[in-house]
Amino acid sequence: MSNLTQAFHLVLQTDVLLAILLASIYGLVVGSLPGLSATMAVALLVPITFYLSPIAAIATIISASAMAIFSGDIPGALLRIPGTPASAAYTDEAYAMTRKGQPELALGIGLWFSALGGIAGTLSLMLLAPPLADMALNFSTYENFWLAFLGLMCATLVARSSPVKAIASMLLGLLVSCIGIENPAGTPRFTFGVTDLFGGIEVIPALVGVFAVSEVMRAMMSAEPPKMPFRRFGSILKSQWTLTKQYVKPQVRGNIVGIIIGVLPGAGADMAAWVSYSMAKRFSKTPEKFGTGHPEGLIEAGASNNASLASGWVPALLFAIPGDTITAIAIGVLYMKGLNPGPTLFTEQASSMYALYIIFIIANIIMIPLGIIMIRVASRVLRAPRSAIMPVIVLMCAVGTFATGNNLFAVMTVAAFGVIGYVMERNGFPVAAMVLGIIMGTMVEQSLVTSLMKSDGSIIPFFNRPVAAVLAAMTIAALLWPVAAWGWRSMRVATR
Amino acid sequence: MQLSDRVTGLSLVALGGLAAYGGWRLPPFPGQEMGPEVFPMVVGISLALCGAMIAAGVGRSYEDEAEADLARISAEAEADGSTAASHHSKWWELRVLIPPALLLFYYFVVDRLGFLPTAAVIVLIASLALGARARLAIPLAICAPLVVNLIFLKLLRVPLPSGMLPLPWIGLP
Repeated sequence: MSNLTQAFHLVLQTDVLLAILLASIYGLVVGSLPGLSATMAVALLVPITFYLSPIAAIATIISASAMAIFSGDIPGALLRIPGTPASAAYTDEAYAMTRKGQPELALGIGLWFSALGGIAGTLSLMLLAPPLADMALNFSTYENFWLAFLGLMCATLVARSSPVKAIASMLLGLLVSCIGIENPAGTPRFTFGVTDLFGGIEVIPALVGVFAVSEVMRAMMSAEPPKMPFRRFGSILKSQWTLTKQYVKPQVRGNIVGIIIGVLPGAGADMAAWVSYSMAKRFSKTPEKFGTGHPEGLIEAGASNNASLASGWVPALLFAIPGDTITAIAIGVLYMKGLNPGPTLFTEQASSMYALYIIFIIANIIMIPLGIIMIRVASRVLRAPRSAIMPVIVLMCAVGTFATGNNLFAVMTVAAFGVIGYVMERNGFPVAAMVLGIIMGTMVEQSLVTSLMKSDGSIIPFFNRPVAAVLAAMTIAALLWPVAAWGWRSMRVATR
Repeated sequence: MQLSDRVTGLSLVALGGLAAYGGWRLPPFPGQEMGPEVFPMVVGISLALCGAMIAAGVGRSYEDEAEADLARISAEAEADGSTAASHHSKWWELRVLIPPALLLFYYFVVDRLGFLPTAAVIVLIASLALGARARLAIPLAICAPLVVNLIFLKLLRVPLPSGMLPLPWIGLP
């Protein structure tokens, strides 16, 4: 209990509360601007969190990401342009509702069920994490290796693209993590004599490049989105309680699917929304109404993407395996702030963990009033032209990454990864898988090489410990699954 | 910059091969069988295998599905807005390199020129490239660097290089 009071004490500081409020407003605005994703919002915040206290830093990430995922629904419903990829799955449905003259209903559903989904996700985090931490305390390097490998494989399984390309992206990330002297022998690897590469490729500039610079590059090639018309809204929360009671099943299903997808490494809010929307359609009694402005799919997917956000923190906190791209960034921040992820975090820093839960709940509660204000002013905020926002983002990319280490080389890294991210995306290579590889590379290598050293090069101990064997079986299944699916598919095509 | 699967696949084969070779040439860890060479070799060989599979077109069917979904979502949205894709000259595609080029510009000149002038040039060029009128771009290029500098200096206490334009009277070094 003393941990809990201590946690409240940690959260109820002026700087933390101010950080939550400002990050929420920032998240709402950035998330609602088409083309700026929630991941980008968080990536641009990292340099700033560098200068905050640990709890305030985590609070900014949690609140900004939760708000951005919700506010991505706003341009989706009003303009049919998803503000974040996580809203893309149900943009058509929300826009159909606006055309029927019910924009407040569509946005209200987005807001209300996002908040409920976020709270459900937080509860799952509170319930799942401690028992898993107990189990994880007994893991040796063999289990850690399989776990990290399984995490990497999951990221490639769920990518909405060719699994082979996803695996290739992940391997590219691992290769990037090889650069530098941080390896078992401390030998400079792939540094080509460049001193700046000795420290390796830093994660934050790479993330900012892949998620922010490549986004600006895409904006250079696409047309400016249309302006939002001025609009007056009726009551936003009016019919939400009726809907909550009417659609209990889709909502619960959305929360559960969101939580499961969030826990899977690498699969984030956008994946959760796609899966939940199609599940809602499949299980609905009235599937023919989907696409005509029917609330069912919106409820399920809106709840799902916010639920996945909180549960994505489970593997991140326990094993430093990111549940999605946002927690991938969060892991970097946790390390930066001395809250190194791992099972001991729950025993030694229990109050910080409770503080994290409290922040999640606060963020999801204040989402409702702030979200209502945002919806009402959206048509004014969103009139800011892209040609004014994107240049400032380029500037922030440069200054922000420079500030994290007072190192100009980081700016070069940002530019390089912007180009890499852009080229990969254009050719169907999922960048999230590469980011995961960069972040987890050092850990995978360490657990692999240390295990091999312990066993004198034998691979038997990787399989004959019970937990390791189970994890190994799961990993191999994940690896073989795309092959099997591909074989089955081509057989079906051949017989047709 | 859309390349065929054959090109991307074969370049991955080359990259993976080079990585494995580079790893193999690393000096071993004294007294141990395993050392810094293991991981790059494993990753490099797997990457080369993946590259070969991509070049052979394995897994292409998944992408077609995802692309069809995306196309359905974005097709009508693009049809509404007037797409600027009508007058594609040969050089038009190079616009995409403006953001990274601006970052490189920052890397090379910020220490000599100072933050404010460098940032002003970056904002001005980026804004004009995205189709802003001078009426918007010029005030933005003057104000945005000042605001960013003040945020970093006052709130985060990160001094940025002042270079040729120190402005002590508004509190910038």
